[in-house]
Amino acid sequence: MTRKLVGQVTPEEKNEIQALFERRNGLNELAKVLTPDNTELYEKLVTDMGTTGTKFQNWWDTMAQKYRWESSPNGNWEINFDTCEIFLVDQ
Amino acid sequence: MLQYLVILLDDTSTSYCHYGVNKKERKLISLDHLRQGIRLGMVENLMIQFVYPDYNLPQEYLDVIDTIDHSNIKPMAALDNDTDIVTIDGWSYDASKLKDAVVALLTSWKQLNENHGKLKDLLAVVQRLNVVITDVERMSDSDREQYKVVLETLCKDVEALYVDGKSPQLNLLTDRMMLSAMNNCNAGDTTVTLAPNGKLYICPAFYYENEDDCVGDVVNGLDIKNKQLYRLDYAPICRKCDAWQCRRCIWINRKTTLEVNTPSHEQCVAAHLDRNASRDLMLSLRSKGTFLPDKEEIKEITYLDPFEIATQWK
Amino acid sequence: MGIIKTKEASWQSGVAKNITFIVTKDCQLACKYCYLVGKNEKEQMSWETAKAAIDYILSHEDEFREESVIWDFIGGEPFMEIDLIDKICDYLKTEMFRLNHHWFNSYRFSFSTNGINYHTPKVQEFIKKNISHLSIGITIDGTERKHDLNRIYKQNNPDGSEHGSYQDVVRNIPLWLEQFPGGSTKVTISSADIPYIKESVLHLYSLGIHEVNINCVFEDVWQEGDDRLFEDQLMQLADAIIDGGYYTDYACSFFSENIGKPLDPILENQNWCGAGKMLAVDAAGMFYPCTRFAGYSLREKKPIIIGNVRDGIDKNKLRPFLTLDRTTQSPQQCLDCEVASGCAWCQGENYDAAETSTVYQRATAICLMHKARVRANNYYWNRLYRKLELEGQREEYEMNKREVKPVDC
Repeated sequence: MTRKLVGQVTPEEKNEIQALFERRNGLNELAKVLTPDNTELYEKLVTDMGTTGTKFQNWWDTMAQKYRWESSPNGNWEINFDTCEIFLVDQ
Repeated sequence: MLQYLVILLDDTSTSYCHYGVNKKERKLISLDHLRQGIRLGMVENLMIQFVYPDYNLPQEYLDVIDTIDHSNIKPMAALDNDTDIVTIDGWSYDASKLKDAVVALLTSWKQLNENHGKLKDLLAVVQRLNVVITDVERMSDSDREQYKVVLETLCKDVEALYVDGKSPQLNLLTDRMMLSAMNNCNAGDTTVTLAPNGKLYICPAFYYENEDDCVGDVVNGLDIKNKQLYRLDYAPICRKCDAWQCRRCIWINRKTTLEVNTPSHEQCVAAHLDRNASRDLMLSLRSKGTFLPDKEEIKEITYLDPFEIATQWK
Repeated sequence: MGIIKTKEASWQSGVAKNITFIVTKDCQLACKYCYLVGKNEKEQMSWETAKAAIDYILSHEDEFREESVIWDFIGGEPFMEIDLIDKICDYLKTEMFRLNHHWFNSYRFSFSTNGINYHTPKVQEFIKKNISHLSIGITIDGTERKHDLNRIYKQNNPDGSEHGSYQDVVRNIPLWLEQFPGGSTKVTISSADIPYIKESVLHLYSLGIHEVNINCVFEDVWQEGDDRLFEDQLMQLADAIIDGGYYTDYACSFFSENIGKPLDPILENQNWCGAGKMLAVDAAGMFYPCTRFAGYSLREKKPIIIGNVRDGIDKNKLRPFLTLDRTTQSPQQCLDCEVASGCAWCQGENYDAAETSTVYQRATAICLMHKARVRANNYYWNRLYRKLELEGQREEYEMNKREVKPVDC
């Protein structure tokens, strides 16, 4: 695995993705607790997972377009929440 | 620095402040303790204030009291020519007997709200009136809204007296205008109290609340632990505050916040409503002519509780 | 070389509300330095109390505006109540989500454990279920002899000797580090531990723990000459860290560039401790400004209760805590101190040790130990800088060095 610094986002942009990241983790862990018989909350959860997932992906798409980060076929981008740096991680 | 010694002559001595007297049985201070208290006052250069019960003291006590310069705080029932401050608990009083007197009127908030209309006549007669709201720490937000209205009324009354050429003194409204710095109760800093049991207390309220809560005795002297905490410069909220007329009651502080140097929200808001009403009164009087030209204008502020902006001071 | 490893900033430091559930006052251990003088087997939090606390807190979002929250679980030993904790955390997640509470986007569950039950199925199941929101610290004090000097079971061995807990803790360290690779440990030093400081820190490094947070107890336990012994141990530790090159990958909170300087009375006047900004709730449903103000933590004083789960928080009781500053509570010797920075205090211990019932009297039992630490710390940085200079790495270090935040209690 290799890890290469390919860019940086603003603190405000970092805050956006950090909140989405936290929310996605929260929803995933809530999903282990909620069962479909709790109809109202379960539906709210499923909807939110969809919405949050979309927002999460949109952020990466928008930022990639804005900053034109280097990419690779087998790689993923990662963000360091402490420094706002973007890394390309190749498997 | 210690400047005043309050001596409670009896367990049933009148209250002149926020505390209530919860002892019903007469118990005079012993002559020995009285003499020792006076001696303490003399050697420490303290001004002594004697607080009287509502009955006549034995002559031998009066003789001892007369051995030192002092002032007398007496209840209405014991009012005589030798009274410096007369206390009235409630709203039953004969104003004709109070000409040129300095009066401490103790009232609950509810009573003040109901009776404040009577104060104009009293103010016209007395030299000075201290209104003490004995349950100020229990006033709710809506009470404080109404208190603002009461102060507006009192402002008009005081203003009318000024326009008539009088100089009424009402602690709630006129003290702030006259002051140039904090002027508070200062119990534990400049004042301590000798109780009938021969022990010293921060103020009478501490004695009536818990006799074990003493800070020394008349034989061995004063021993106030953490004495600095009674000083203004060790009170983080108060030292930056400009509600200079605030009583800054140490006893209510401890009761409500558990610290002698920290006022409650309720005490701060009440003091700021007084302050702001003083500001309005001062502006109004100045609009009619020269008034206290050597005093600065009281600034307009946006808060009623300085705690709200306390974090900005750090 | 990269940068010198320093203590990691705690999660959302400065913007997170810390809310502590005292789920039990029981513990398997009876550590000799433990400040919890009132531990017992009777006071376990009920689910009803926990739920009432959560309902109160989450329904008063306007009073809890902090960006993030750390739900902290403390004991005694919190994992003795893993069933209750699991139920609390499930309820918290569900309710934060149901109420659209802003904390759903930023929360952690935090534990400080003695590590004995760490491997048990129930604890492991809980960890797997909540892994992305967990912060777990295991307390291991160093070598076996140092650890077992203090951290002993309540029950002695059959032969009457003390039963140390080291073996039961150390077996869980690999699993813990696998699950929490950046895991740090908290080491407590009292008088009897001083001779074992160096070997203990190095031992913890050898176990794979890269961050060791150490503090001396705040209580007045120190003997004459302890400060000299302490300084000597820290200097030996400094030599070992520098000579062994540990400083690049391992951190020890004893050594920090920011300590040992005079403090400005106006610009550096903030309180050290977070009491009052935190909230603790116990089995009786009482709220405290920090767990240290609960009855079981106090030797001499009455607890400071700031409310309860039914009536809420009495904000007047919080005012002294929120207006506390350094200079108002410090004696003159601290204000005049030329090595004041980094000298910590615990508001609870200040209160417990004060001559009157106040949080405004700073305890100074730690004074000589702090000064000893400063001297050893100066030695450490002077030696390290010289080494970096000689190796041509100092400039790189200066450019990359991170700001280190003070160690939380």
